[in-house]
Amino acid sequence: MTSQTLQKVDHSALKTNQIIIITLNILAFILNLPVLAAFVALVMGIGSALKIPGFGFVYKNLLKPRGWVKPDILNDNPEPHRFAQFLGFLFMTAGSAALFFGASILGWGLVWLVVALAALNAFGGFCVGCAIYYWLSRFQLPGFSKQPPAGTFPGMKPKAGARV
Amino acid sequence: MSEDIFLRSVFATAIILIAALGYWLFNQRLMLRARNNLSTLFNTLPNKPVIVYFTTPDCAPCKTVQRPAINHVSKLFGERLQVVEIDATERPDLAKIWGVMSVPTTFLLDARGEARYVNNGVARAEKLMEQLETLSDYSI
Repeated sequence: MTSQTLQKVDHSALKTNQIIIITLNILAFILNLPVLAAFVALVMGIGSALKIPGFGFVYKNLLKPRGWVKPDILNDNPEPHRFAQFLGFLFMTAGSAALFFGASILGWGLVWLVVALAALNAFGGFCVGCAIYYWLSRFQLPGFSKQPPAGTFPGMKPKAGARV
Repeated sequence: MSEDIFLRSVFATAIILIAALGYWLFNQRLMLRARNNLSTLFNTLPNKPVIVYFTTPDCAPCKTVQRPAINHVSKLFGERLQVVEIDATERPDLAKIWGVMSVPTTFLLDARGEARYVNNGVARAEKLMEQLETLSDYSI
């Protein structure tokens, strides 16, 4: 771990994004709506392109202004979270494509995998995509330059002391 | 159509319940192992709640979050709480016997030595306090 400039990352926005992804994916499965899974993939893709949580607009425009969800701003690296969302987007895209081509088991399996990983992040505080990012950064891959915040296990939510 | 939705709802609920049940069973197994292997740590009953804390020297969240949390709780409870810290690299036998697969892992035992809670991963001070306060006669 090296000294690096951390940014203020609102983990409430990330958590809201994950919970919406979980909810919509489960709904897509229950209602057998591959198009809803594709919509989740699309929003995650747009979020990745814009470098924001895909469903962060729900938090920013609805939940936060009304005080329904309070900000949880921590000193953290946003890049691993973006990478995690991008990975989710790839899985969701592959899952949606599989569903549209009739490979239901593979398609819903990938959708449930995204649900499981998002749940682990939202409720367990462990971001698998972030852990993969930090693991890749150890190999000094171009574009993977960030180190975990000091004292934080790669992929784990930064400690409460990092709150700003 | 509605039958299909019903079946899928049942399936989704089953997946979620199985995941929750799996986690619960994993914790129950750990607590059972702790109960069965109490003698590896104590010759006699502790007669007060105990936090058994598994850590390793290179575990960053142990140093930055878990140990300060345990120190905080320990200060509040004073003599009414015993903390046993185990370095899993020095005592891999104990980690194996107790079924510890990651650090930090904390077990909360009651005064009779019964494992009542297990926390896989970081357990913050507030959580430890809540758990300790459910053990009879040990609220502060």
